[in-house]
Amino acid sequence: MSTFREHKSIVDRAAADRVRHKKKIEKAIKESIKDVIANESIIGQNGKKKIRIPVKGIKEYRFIYGNNEKNGQVGSGGKHDLKRGQRIGEKRARKAASDNAGNEQGEETYEVEIALEDLAEYLFADLELPDLDKKRFRYLSEDVMRRKGYRFEGIRPRLSKKETLKRKIKRKKRAIGAGAYDPDTDERFPFHKNDLKYHYMKPHPKENTSAVVFFLMDVSGSMTTEKKYIARSYFFLLYQFLRHKYDKIEVVFISHTITASRVSEDEFFQRITTGGTMMSSALEVTLDIIDKEYHPNSWNIYTFYAGDGENWQSDNNPAINLLSSLKEVNQMVVYTEISPNRTHPEEEEDVPNWTDPTFAAWKEEQPDSMWTMCTHLIDSKFKRLLLTKSDQIWTSFKDIFGIKT
Amino acid sequence: MTDWTLDELSRWDEKICEVGEAFGLNWFDIDYEIIDFHEMISAMSYTGLPTHYRHWSFGKAYERTHTLYNAGASGLPYEMIINSNPSISYLMSQNPMYIHILTMAHCVGHSDFFKNNRTFAQTSPELVIPKFKAAAKYIKALIEDPSIGIQEVEDILDASHAIKYQVPRFPGIKRHSHSALKQIYAQKILDDEDGVYDDFDIHKIPLERDYNILSFITEHSRNLNEWQRNLISIVEENSHYFIPQALTKIMNEGWAVLMHEKIVQELNLPDKYHIPFLKLHNQVVRPHLGRVNPYHLGYNIFKRLEARSGFDACLLAREVHNDITFLRNHLDEEMCHDLNLFSFSYKQSQDHSSIDETSDTVGWEKVRDSLIKNIGLNSIPVIYVEEMQKDHTLVLRHEHDGRDLDMKYARKVFDYIRDLWGDEISLFTILENDLWEF
Repeated sequence: MSTFREHKSIVDRAAADRVRHKKKIEKAIKESIKDVIANESIIGQNGKKKIRIPVKGIKEYRFIYGNNEKNGQVGSGGKHDLKRGQRIGEKRARKAASDNAGNEQGEETYEVEIALEDLAEYLFADLELPDLDKKRFRYLSEDVMRRKGYRFEGIRPRLSKKETLKRKIKRKKRAIGAGAYDPDTDERFPFHKNDLKYHYMKPHPKENTSAVVFFLMDVSGSMTTEKKYIARSYFFLLYQFLRHKYDKIEVVFISHTITASRVSEDEFFQRITTGGTMMSSALEVTLDIIDKEYHPNSWNIYTFYAGDGENWQSDNNPAINLLSSLKEVNQMVVYTEISPNRTHPEEEEDVPNWTDPTFAAWKEEQPDSMWTMCTHLIDSKFKRLLLTKSDQIWTSFKDIFGIKT
Repeated sequence: MTDWTLDELSRWDEKICEVGEAFGLNWFDIDYEIIDFHEMISAMSYTGLPTHYRHWSFGKAYERTHTLYNAGASGLPYEMIINSNPSISYLMSQNPMYIHILTMAHCVGHSDFFKNNRTFAQTSPELVIPKFKAAAKYIKALIEDPSIGIQEVEDILDASHAIKYQVPRFPGIKRHSHSALKQIYAQKILDDEDGVYDDFDIHKIPLERDYNILSFITEHSRNLNEWQRNLISIVEENSHYFIPQALTKIMNEGWAVLMHEKIVQELNLPDKYHIPFLKLHNQVVRPHLGRVNPYHLGYNIFKRLEARSGFDACLLAREVHNDITFLRNHLDEEMCHDLNLFSFSYKQSQDHSSIDETSDTVGWEKVRDSLIKNIGLNSIPVIYVEEMQKDHTLVLRHEHDGRDLDMKYARKVFDYIRDLWGDEISLFTILENDLWEF
């Protein structure tokens, strides 16, 4: 005879171990974050959105046999037509190997659900951004009128009924005390002009926390998939970063070849176009949109341009001029060149970073390039950046937003 | 949505027990815990044990099962049973009646196997639950101890888990402590008349190959404090619970499937239960293409054995064999051919896998041997302690059987062992026919 017991458990016994495992996973997420941003269309999503990201499993290492010719496995076949030397499905063979007890070679991946906000959290924790210069994110201020105290002078709508009534009551009490007024009579005790008090309005500086970010990308023929991949990762991180700093953020996507247009997020990243490159077209559209929709007095404006630097020669001067006027109305303008084939200066030992004069010299070899031509614009509001690999995006943030050492 | 009551479960259980006894089965009483879906995943994560010490790897197991389940890749098991006395098993409350009937009949088979199979003779099933409970309590106290804490506990557990299967594979043989072994050898030398032990160094450590790395470390490391030694011993003891199961996976499952089939045949299930039962049963014993489904293999061997030699031969086999001897004795050419077994390997030079042998007259024995090499603990490399040098350097050696180690994994485990040992270690293996030292 067996016994049956309905188990009524209130505690989740695995909870503590799952938390502990999650901590280990978080580390793994940080490590695979680059894959994440490559796979998901998450730019511009609201922070509450949960995304599922693949994370490499935390391995539990044991002694196992290597997966090679000396380590034969056994399987059962479907039809009786198997032949020696017959090639069999890669996946199935791998799976068979990993299913084997004790043989945990198969790469384990988990889908972990994570809020975008948390994802950004991981990203920026890794960058140690709290130590960066906060001043770069100073908010634009505008004056807001706020009530502050009372005055005897004022306009009717600002009349404070409460204060006025208080004064009238005081006066009435005094009148009674002095015998000038008898409360038992039917006679009214009217308001006097001196009773009236008005709210005083004082201008008060208010921090403006709304921002608009313009993402400008060259989508011309020369922008390969690899370059676009870097651009996309770059924009995603920027977006997350700025969203971290501002309550309200709007994003405008502009893609350009020789003409520019405002596009949706999806189009921005997916549209494949061919043709030449005129950077000025995108800058013109940006200025136009700022003029019509985002007044610099009420918006913190950021413009990030990403291209491969292969602008048409004749367009370079107009582009520089436009960058210069853009700089006037922006909190920050960043010109980014994505050149996967180029040696990144940071990889050359004697050229530590792009602010180093030796690197400038290296770049100055191409005097007509956009890169060289925008040199004179560089200041606290204009940055120039070179990306050769997506994993440089991290460090580039320190260049853009960080304290100069 | 359930179509059953506790009373019904009891009634069916009564019938199942009656039929089981009539077949000559003899099992431990079974305690069924009725749990929900989440508890089932939890129970699975801790390999079914109702109490188990904490470790993040069980959290990982939970997430993994949960992920697979959500992705529809895996159903929850309808049976999970602990080798304890009484046996503990789980019924998932969301499951319908016919699954419970199958589960209960299946569990009778498992419990009978635990109680009768020789491999389990030394497992002291009465002590299983108290042992795990004591370990859980001890580790909980260490984690909560402010002078120790979870990180230090994990450091030891992580490293010990990495070599938890580096223990002797033959259950029931007690390990002698070094001093006990020394006495045995001293006696041997005294009794030695043929000069076999003339060159024997009685002062070396260990006196013979020690396949129990965990125990060797707790015994001889000079860098561990008491709670650390105890932790390592807990992991080592847990392994002894799992080893008989790993050695009999194919038989145990085959036997349980055979028995649930036979029992249910006698129950005269109404059609509303019987038809879905058959469907589920067939799903359980279907061959997995390109892999070996232990349920399928074990069940088929028992079926064939019963057809040829009768049910009594099956009863005997379930008592005396383990997977290795079972396959050696009963997996013949005809069966290999019928099950269409083949061996394959990954060809690094060509970056794909291809079939090496098929189960024809020429190849079936190689296929069978290849299978035996991969079942249970045979798929785990054997590493033993060869020597502890005077400066406490621990020398380990891999018993190479033609298969090379995965070097990336071996490197990581090497680091774990060094952390546990606390002094230098070295590990010898053979890689591509050359001696390799880590």
